[in-house]
Order: sequence, then structure tokens, then C-alpha cells
Amino acid sequence: MVKGSFSVRLPEFARTTTFRWTLAISGAFTLCVILMFVFVLGEEYSYLSSDVDRLNGENARLVTAETKENRVRRLNEYLQNDPRRVKLGGLFDSDGNRIAGNIENLPATLQTDSSPTDVSLIRVDALGRDRQLARTVASRLDDNSFLVVGRNVQQFTWIVGVVRRALTLGLIPALGLGLAIGALLSVRGQKRIDAVNRKVQRIVDGELRERLPTRGTNDPFDKLAALVNGMLDEIEVLVRRLAGVGDDIAHDLRTPLTRVRVSLERARQKAGNIDELRASVDKAIVGLDQSLDIITALLRIAEIEHSRQVDGFRDVALADLVREVGDLYEPIAEDKKVDFAVKAKEDAIVHGDRDLLFEAVANLVDNAVKFTPQGGHVALSLLRKGNAAVVRVCDTGPGVPAGESDLVTKRFYRSDKSRCDPGLGLGLSLVSAIVKLHGFDFRISSGPGCVAEIAGRSADA
Amino acid sequence: MIDEATELTRAATPLCQLENDLGRHDNPAVGSPGELVMSRVLLIEDDRQTADEIVAELGDRGFQVEWAATGIEGLDKARIGEADVMIVDRLLPGIDGLTIIEVARQEHIRTPVLVLSALGAVDDRVRGLRAGGDDYLTKPFAILELIARIEALLRRPSENRDTMLRVGPLELDLISRTAKRGDRPIDLLPREFRLLEYMMSRKDQLLTRAMLFEEVWNYKFVPQSNLVDVHMGRLRRKVDGSHEQPMIHSVRGEGFVLRAPA
Repeated sequence: MVKGSFSVRLPEFARTTTFRWTLAISGAFTLCVILMFVFVLGEEYSYLSSDVDRLNGENARLVTAETKENRVRRLNEYLQNDPRRVKLGGLFDSDGNRIAGNIENLPATLQTDSSPTDVSLIRVDALGRDRQLARTVASRLDDNSFLVVGRNVQQFTWIVGVVRRALTLGLIPALGLGLAIGALLSVRGQKRIDAVNRKVQRIVDGELRERLPTRGTNDPFDKLAALVNGMLDEIEVLVRRLAGVGDDIAHDLRTPLTRVRVSLERARQKAGNIDELRASVDKAIVGLDQSLDIITALLRIAEIEHSRQVDGFRDVALADLVREVGDLYEPIAEDKKVDFAVKAKEDAIVHGDRDLLFEAVANLVDNAVKFTPQGGHVALSLLRKGNAAVVRVCDTGPGVPAGESDLVTKRFYRSDKSRCDPGLGLGLSLVSAIVKLHGFDFRISSGPGCVAEIAGRSADA
Repeated sequence: MIDEATELTRAATPLCQLENDLGRHDNPAVGSPGELVMSRVLLIEDDRQTADEIVAELGDRGFQVEWAATGIEGLDKARIGEADVMIVDRLLPGIDGLTIIEVARQEHIRTPVLVLSALGAVDDRVRGLRAGGDDYLTKPFAILELIARIEALLRRPSENRDTMLRVGPLELDLISRTAKRGDRPIDLLPREFRLLEYMMSRKDQLLTRAMLFEEVWNYKFVPQSNLVDVHMGRLRRKVDGSHEQPMIHSVRGEGFVLRAPA
């Protein structure tokens, strides 16, 4: 059987880091104060002792220097004028009997080699008899008598007492105050963290509109909350955009799939012979292919948007690329009776993925040719503007309506005018993704028709 | 509408004819000249329904198909080395399709491999080919596209050093970069020359738009416009004169075949 473990659960505030730190700092503070007092006391004690020792020594010497007869007088002179009753002295014969002085008898522990000693002895004078703690020097004189000169050091004990009281009276409230402040800070911080935790939990539960609380005090905690809120804004926008893309996908996939369904259903009911059935199946296959093309194009855009293949980038000669695209689309334009001019007199080298850049330019030309009516013009040109290499595709088609130039690069965006034309509505968002991967600029503006430009920093500039 | 349908029926014709023609080409599956030998296909595909369709379709077209549902079974069958071509699904339970190809190549199994994959990314294609695959087809695919690619693998042009290509009356001089049909010189643009060279080295084979776009133009993306058709139209007007028998044939919805006039 395992005995249930038993542990004391501290209150919430006492478990916070803030509180622990306060506790540690208070402890360190107390230790420092105690050490300081010990040091001061030690210094004080050694100063006072040496002072007392000096006085004792001097007085002992004065008495000793006298003749045997004058010693008693000298000692009594020394012991006079002592209102605070601190002076001690005694002259004892070789048997230890008091000859003169105010010390009752020769203390047994007294060393007689003139070294300072702390002893407890009994003082006897006109005011009475009482025990005193004294620092003394004792010496044996030439006539085998003993001289003891001392000073009451009761004041030392008194000083220690004062210091101890000061410590108790000062430190304990200080320590208490420290702990109280620690607890207060801890509770305050805990409250803030609890508030944040509740918000975060709500965000985790899917409430993306929630934000962390801020006080506007611009303290580090506030700054962090503001940063996280900024991140949440970005995430919210992305999630919404994703949802929007989902709707777009659903719409653009449903359209051809609905056609497929209707076509198949009709054929099932109405087809009179195998040829009619085949025709309907053909239409259904076209519809399915269209749906699959949409999926392929979407995956392709996602692939480009998420790729970090900057390692695979090489120098790409744009003049060559532009001429090649021109070569590819020249027959298409001619078939459509659209005048197609390719101008790439000056070369420009950019750093990038040739296949992707080709795809982007081809897409722009494809669009231009598709939307330019018979007899119109499409121009594909490579220009240099300072450090930048610009591939420009101009056409005389309907152009992009004012205010839509940002929208056209969005997935599935198709100007209402072009809804009836074939296409997936993904071409420009593909171009946009490729351009973004390269860190180039992509601009669509209205000329007489439409002007699309890809501008990249030229590597040979 | 009826026209479209009848054209679809006809669409199968050139392919059937291609099957019959098999024996007369430099096919590794061919024994002695004139004798028709069935090409053997090893299909490694875990989805039973897809596999059934492919097996049935290839069977109808005269291929002898062996099906392996797992990577390990497939690898065992590949080691026996009876197949003329392998179709390997990219994602298989147990051993991954690419691993099978890599192992096979390490063991010097040189059978051409067509990789099938539901992953359509360009990167994935590159990985498939790098692992030792010879061609790559993204799911879902038109069955004719699959057949065309298998045939292309079976009849890969041998590395001959011929500088003159001939199909019926059509001649292409790779040194002087000139072409003529009978005595009539044909003036070709460089891109048309490349296209015709590719088609002549793969005469009688169905070449799909995707194959042409990948191989002749060397582009890996799906063009939005009917680029291949327009370029092929140009070439066809030059190759097939108004009073001549057509040599370039469209297979509706799928691709093109270059054949000598009957």
C-alpha cells in the first residue's frame, strides 16, 4: 500500500515568482543588515577594548611607578572622581588580602602577567557592594603584592542590547513590509495573468475577436499584450481570408460540377441513342476537367506561396525569356487577329526561378491576348528603369475598372465583364504569388486598355 | 452534338491501329520482325478501383497487365523482371512508390517507370523523376493520356546518331535544319522544326498536349490557352499541303499523331 503523500498547499499568491523573489530579496536584505551590525559591533568592541586597555595599562604603570608607601595613595587618587562608578582597582598582598581599592577580593581567574582579561568581580565602595563585569590588567609587584586595575565594561553589554533591540524593532517591520509588498505585487500580477489566461482560453476556444487586456501604461506587460493583440489581428484577417477563399473555391467548383450533374441527369432521362449519351458524357468530362483544373491551379498557387526555394534562384536573362514568351504566343495572337509586338532590345538579369518567371509573364500575355478584341494590340516589352528591370504587358482590351486593380490579383476574382470569358480567374493571383516569392513588384493599371508590370531589382545594375 | 460523339468513336481508331503497328517498331517487347508480342505492364497501385479500371482499359488495348496492390509485392514482381514497363503509384502503404523505384534502380532493374501521383506539385514531379522514374502523371488523368505515355515509354527512340529523319515522304535534315515533303521544301520556324523533329522521332505514337508541352517546349505549367493546338495548326498547314494526304492527325481531345500516308 502506498501511503497518500501529504503536502501543504500554499496560497495562490505565495506560489508566484514575484512572491518568491520578494522573499529571497527580503532574506538577503536581512542577512546583509545582520552582517553589517555584527561588523559594526565587532569594530566598536575592539575600539572600546583597546581604549580601556590603554587606560588600564597607563594607570597601572602610574601606580607601579610609585614607591611602596605611595601606591595606596596613588590608587585611591585614581579611584576618586568616579561618578559613573566605572573605575576599578585593588592592591592585594601576596596572600590575596585586600590592602586598598574597591575590589572585594582577588578574582581567582585573574592572570597576573599584565595581559587584559575580562572578569566578573565584586565592587565595594561607599555606595555599596555589587558585582560588575570588568576588563582588567593585573600584575605582580616587586614586593609580591598584586595590583589590579580595571574598568567596568557593563556598557558593552548595554550597547549590544541596544543594537539587538534596534535590530528587532527595525528589521522585523521591514521584513514584514517586504513580504506584504511581495504578496501585493504577486496578487496584482496574478490578477493580470488570470485575466490574460481567461482571454487566451476564449481565443483558443475559437473566439478570435477577443483581445488581451491592456492598461495603456506602456509597461513591458502592456507592450507584450499589444504585440500579441497585433498578432491576433493578423491571424483573424488570415482566417477570414481563408474562409473567403473557401467560399470562392466552393462557388467556382460548384458551377462546373452543377453543369456536369444537370447534363448527366438530362442525358439519363432524355438521351435517345448512344450518340446523344456520349455527347452528354463528353460535356460532363469537360466540366470535370474544368473543376480539376481549378484544383490544380489552386494547389499550384499554394505551392508557390509556401515555397521557400530561394536557394534554387539563379540569374535569369529577361530578354531571352521575353522573346521566348513572345515566340510562344505570337501564333495565338495572330489567330485571333491581334497585333502582337515584342520589344526586348536591352537585356536585364534578375535573380530568380526562370520557370516561374516564364509562367508569370506567359500568364500576363495569355490574359492580354484573351481580353483584347480582334484588331487590337498587345505589346510585351522589357524596359529598364534605373536599377529595376520591368516586364510590361500592355493591351487595348477593356482594361481594369478603376478601383479593381488590387482585387484582380485575388483568387477567383474576375471582373464582371469577364465572367463570360473562359478562364479560371486564377491567372493573376498565380502571377501575384510568383512575383511575391521573388520580392518583385506587380502593378496593374489602366492605360487605354490594361497595363501590367512586373518590376524586379536588376542583378547586373 | 452528334458530330462530337461520332468523332469520339473515331478517336479510338488511331490507337487501335497503333496497337497493330506495334510489331513493326523498335519495341523492346518485340521478338522477331512481324510478330506481335503483347507488352507486359506491371501496375503497382493500392486503390483497387483505380487498379481495376486501368487493368481493364490496358487489357482492352492488348496489354498484358499484372497488378500488385502493395509496394513489397510490386517490388518482388519487378525483380522477376518480366515487365516491359511499370506503373508505380507514388503513395503506397508500406513501401513508398519512390522507394520502390530507387531500390529497383539500385538493383539495376532498368524497366521504364511511369509514376502516378495525386500530389501534383512541380517539386513532387522533380522528386519522382530524380528517384529514377521516367515519366510522371498526375491523378486524375485521362486514360488515353496514360496509354500514350506508356507507349511512349515502350517505344523510346533509340539513341541513334541519324542526322536525317524520315517518315514516308517527309524528310528532316538535322544538320542543315531543312525539311521537305517529297520534292516540296518546307520552310519551318525554329519552334516548328523542334516540334516536327519530336513528332518524327515518335511517329505513329499518340502525343498528348501535355507531353508535347513538357517535352518540346520544356515547360512544366498548364497553359491556359490552347497553345499546343495553335502551334500544331501552323505546323500542319506547312506539312500537309492542300492536295496531299494528311500526315498529322488529331486525336480529339487528347493529342496528335504523325503517320506516313497510307
